[in-house]
Amino acid sequence: MDFFATTALGLIAAIPVTLLLFVASAIGSSLIAGGLVAAQQSRITRPIAQAWIFVFRGTPLLLQIFMVYYGLAALGPIRHGWLWPAFREPLFCAWLAMTCCCSAYIAEVLRGALTAIPKGQIEAALACGMGRWTRLRRVIMPQMLRLALPSYGNELVMMIKSTSLASSITVLDVTGVASQVIAHSYRTLEVFCLAAAVYLCMTAALTALLRRIERSLAPAGSRRA
Amino acid sequence: MTAPVLSAKGITKSFGGRAVLKGIDLDAHRGDVVSILGGSGSGKSTFLRCLNLLEMPDAGTIEITGTRAPLVHDRQGKARIDNPKALGALRAKTAMVFQNFNLWSHMTVLDNIVAAPVHVHGTPRAQAVERAHALLEKVGMTGFAAHWPMQLSGGQQQRVAIARALATDPDLMLFDEPTSALDPERVREVLDLMRALAGEGRTMLIVTHEMAFAREVSSHVVHVRDGVIESMGPPAVMFGADASPVFRGFLSPH
Repeated sequence: MDFFATTALGLIAAIPVTLLLFVASAIGSSLIAGGLVAAQQSRITRPIAQAWIFVFRGTPLLLQIFMVYYGLAALGPIRHGWLWPAFREPLFCAWLAMTCCCSAYIAEVLRGALTAIPKGQIEAALACGMGRWTRLRRVIMPQMLRLALPSYGNELVMMIKSTSLASSITVLDVTGVASQVIAHSYRTLEVFCLAAAVYLCMTAALTALLRRIERSLAPAGSRRA
Repeated sequence: MTAPVLSAKGITKSFGGRAVLKGIDLDAHRGDVVSILGGSGSGKSTFLRCLNLLEMPDAGTIEITGTRAPLVHDRQGKARIDNPKALGALRAKTAMVFQNFNLWSHMTVLDNIVAAPVHVHGTPRAQAVERAHALLEKVGMTGFAAHWPMQLSGGQQQRVAIARALATDPDLMLFDEPTSALDPERVREVLDLMRALAGEGRTMLIVTHEMAFAREVSSHVVHVRDGVIESMGPPAVMFGADASPVFRGFLSPH
């Protein structure tokens, strides 16, 4: 087999690692983001949420990954504690850093969507006597989801690309495999181009999926041909 | 005399130190149609919104068919209600029709109408749907159940909003300038519907600028000015020769 075919197969074989990291981070960060938005609604917990967002949005993801993988490993309680089997794994460390970092961005997206809900929609829910949870479940959440989706989708696309940073702590994702191939072939441009093509396919698929969801959520009256 | 549907006493409200409501008392009995008139900034809309506590009054009591949600005051003197159950119960006895319709944009017409019966009052969905179709027929919107609010004209949206308000068979209906956001030719279809409701004996409070409608349909007309009730009475008196000079000045400011 020629060089391109073998390299392409190697990169494709690494897609599951990239996707696993992406999906796990997307789920983790979305859940935390939801919690952050909830925390921002109370005067007592708001400072905690804001500090979290300030720190994780204000520092580079690469640095956060390094700190979790190299930094925490140097701490005794982590090194000798029961969590060590997890913190020993670079994939877990990359997931943890990405989850924390992206949760800050997604929380801001959700908060923006929450404030963008027309006041009248919530007043109508209040006026008919809906309680807190009913209001949240029947009116606020569905409206928030719809308003957040375009920017949330943007975050998800960014996240797919950010997974490549995991290769810096020895995770063999698509970028990690590409670097490995380059290390013994020195064919930098060709290999990175192939890797870029693999990412393009993934983001294109995600974008298409998001567009479908967006269309299905938009009320018929607002749909443009 | 029977107990009133609505009994509001001593309602006050200020925004940022400016007193908007300076103590309003109002009772409404079953079948009353009360039109609340007044210039812009008179406090008439704020008063209406205080009745279902969308706006929290600073002081006063509100009782709707025996249900009360007492205000408590914190140390800064800010009023709130710390009994969400009572608050929900009070609101569930009322229904509001808004100036801007406020149909839930992520629900179809049908879902808008069944939401409160099903999710607030616990009515079985099948029963709520059946009633919703009957209400759609009543407001002249048969065949629109599966439409989305954005596909409807303003007048159609407001008629659906009225069907939504009727869905829980409320003791008290609050109309907050229901025709002010409509094109002139659409105003009539909404007013005709409201006239029909009044004829059925619905208890209604209507904040409006439609003088002819207030005169013709109301059982009582209330003139609010500077946060107090300046004058009130049956339309025959309010629009008659013995009307308050201030109200007459409001009607024709020349």
